[in-house]
Amino acid sequence: MSRDELTPVQRAAAIAKGEGADRMPCNPNIANGVARVYGCKISEFNTDPIAIAKAQMATYERFGNDSLRVFTDLFTWPEAMGAKVVCPDDDTVDLLEPAITDVSQIGKLRPADPLKDGRLPVHVEAMKYLKEYSDGIVGCSAGVVGPFTLAFFLIGIDKMLKMCRKDPESVHKLCRIALETCKNYAAVAMEIGLTPTISEPMSSCTVVSPKVFRELSLPYLKELVDFIHEGGYNPVIHICGQTNKIWKDCADLGIAGWSIDNVASIEECKKTVGDQCKIMGNVDPGPIMFGGTPLDVRIGTLQSLKAGWDSPKGFMVMSGCSLPVDSPFENIDAMMDTVREVGYPVSIDRIDAMLEEALYQKQKEEE
Amino acid sequence: MATKEELLKELSDCVLDLRDDEVEEVAQSYIDAGFEAYDGIFYGLVDGMNKAAKLYEEEEYFIPELMICSDAMYAGLDVLRPHIDSSQMKQKCKVAIGVVEGDTHDIGKNLVKIMLEASGYEMIDLGRDVPIQEFVDAVVNDGARAVALSTLMSTSMPNMAKVVQKLEEAGVRDQVKVIVGGGPLSSGYARKIGADGYSDSAVEAVELLDGLMGW
Repeated sequence: MSRDELTPVQRAAAIAKGEGADRMPCNPNIANGVARVYGCKISEFNTDPIAIAKAQMATYERFGNDSLRVFTDLFTWPEAMGAKVVCPDDDTVDLLEPAITDVSQIGKLRPADPLKDGRLPVHVEAMKYLKEYSDGIVGCSAGVVGPFTLAFFLIGIDKMLKMCRKDPESVHKLCRIALETCKNYAAVAMEIGLTPTISEPMSSCTVVSPKVFRELSLPYLKELVDFIHEGGYNPVIHICGQTNKIWKDCADLGIAGWSIDNVASIEECKKTVGDQCKIMGNVDPGPIMFGGTPLDVRIGTLQSLKAGWDSPKGFMVMSGCSLPVDSPFENIDAMMDTVREVGYPVSIDRIDAMLEEALYQKQKEEE
Repeated sequence: MATKEELLKELSDCVLDLRDDEVEEVAQSYIDAGFEAYDGIFYGLVDGMNKAAKLYEEEEYFIPELMICSDAMYAGLDVLRPHIDSSQMKQKCKVAIGVVEGDTHDIGKNLVKIMLEASGYEMIDLGRDVPIQEFVDAVVNDGARAVALSTLMSTSMPNMAKVVQKLEEAGVRDQVKVIVGGGPLSSGYARKIGADGYSDSAVEAVELLDGLMGW
């Protein structure tokens, strides 16, 4: 892995101080694909905290990515509150049944205890191991689901979608209790020394209107972000799909970074909130990172860099969303190597030249 | 008394304006007034659903709104459908529909199912994350004459190609039309995997399949 001169911690510090660095930070967002790198089954993450932590470190050693995260799926929190999940042998956990089936049961829900409920204690242990393994080398975060999204998994997605229009009062009640679970988990993560990062996919403009987001999701997201701020940390928020109409709402919460999906525009995001937080994204995880060639990845990475490199509060090349589990290693290498080749400080002329060359090669391949 | 046109508009508006609790009553007065159920479905309910789909494309409506519109449409269908003059409503063929294996996103599939069902197709809903063989079984054992495949995930797209391939291996490919849809797809991809057609919206899916089946 000694392809990089600096460790991610050194690199981040150098860039923050305005000193020289070897390259821009980059996070391919490898997700449960880390099992492929480490050589275990994804289901081992359901019970073995050391496997979670070692798989993260193995991925860092293999690729040199700039951040690690304790996170396996969105369902650890609903499961800890009574939802049922399916645990495939070697694939990501999926939701089977929500915790409750009717609004009359909301009163039965209790906030999860991260030290006791479901798989949360496994993740809490994993945080401790990962903190120990990575300390001073690479930054680690603890993924936590956002309150609004968690509420969907507590009562069922179809039901909650309709409730957003028909029964907002009950949505508020669900989000309130979901928030308590999110805070409990974030508190433990911060105590261990990991920065919470928030995934809030159901808040996407691809799912609900900005109006519904502002009424039913944002107040609880704000409370969670405020809570994390009080703990001395500043979270990154990732929301899948299109998010352009809510960038400003989240940036105004004072977050550290906005991680955007490939259907959103880095250029537009930079103009809208680039002076408020770091922008992260957004190479297409599907057709490019999973289905494309290393040359496609090179082009996608350069296009993201070209759009975001000069964002006032910083930029990190990232995949638009978690990578599919079986994304080819050579594509992940291609992303990292492209960022290495661009170097630091970034020269837009160099990016343009590299991009032109790559597009020319692509054109030749197609002929 | 309300005219037919007024009631058709009212049916359409009930669907479009999320009035799923009022639509049954309007549908009943439409039937009581002696108007044709067939027109009520197509120029009332389906018209409202088409307009809702348009608002979704324009980012005026989002998924919650579409879910309630489709509830309203189904509530109206329950009232109108028993009154359809069977000589007038062509019962179209059976269509097996599902989200291919590896993907659980089924909102788009459900919308296509609603539109096809409303236009007279008999739907076999295989659900989401459907193993390839189940599509073949629906053709061989249940008499589906069309197969509609959906996915939002590029990682599941290869499974669409496998369904087409398995239909060939089972010797039934020439008995069925295969249509595909979903976020990462294109008509180019449909051609590449040997599907018969691609549509990028639930409304177009009806036109596409009607065209392919010759209705």
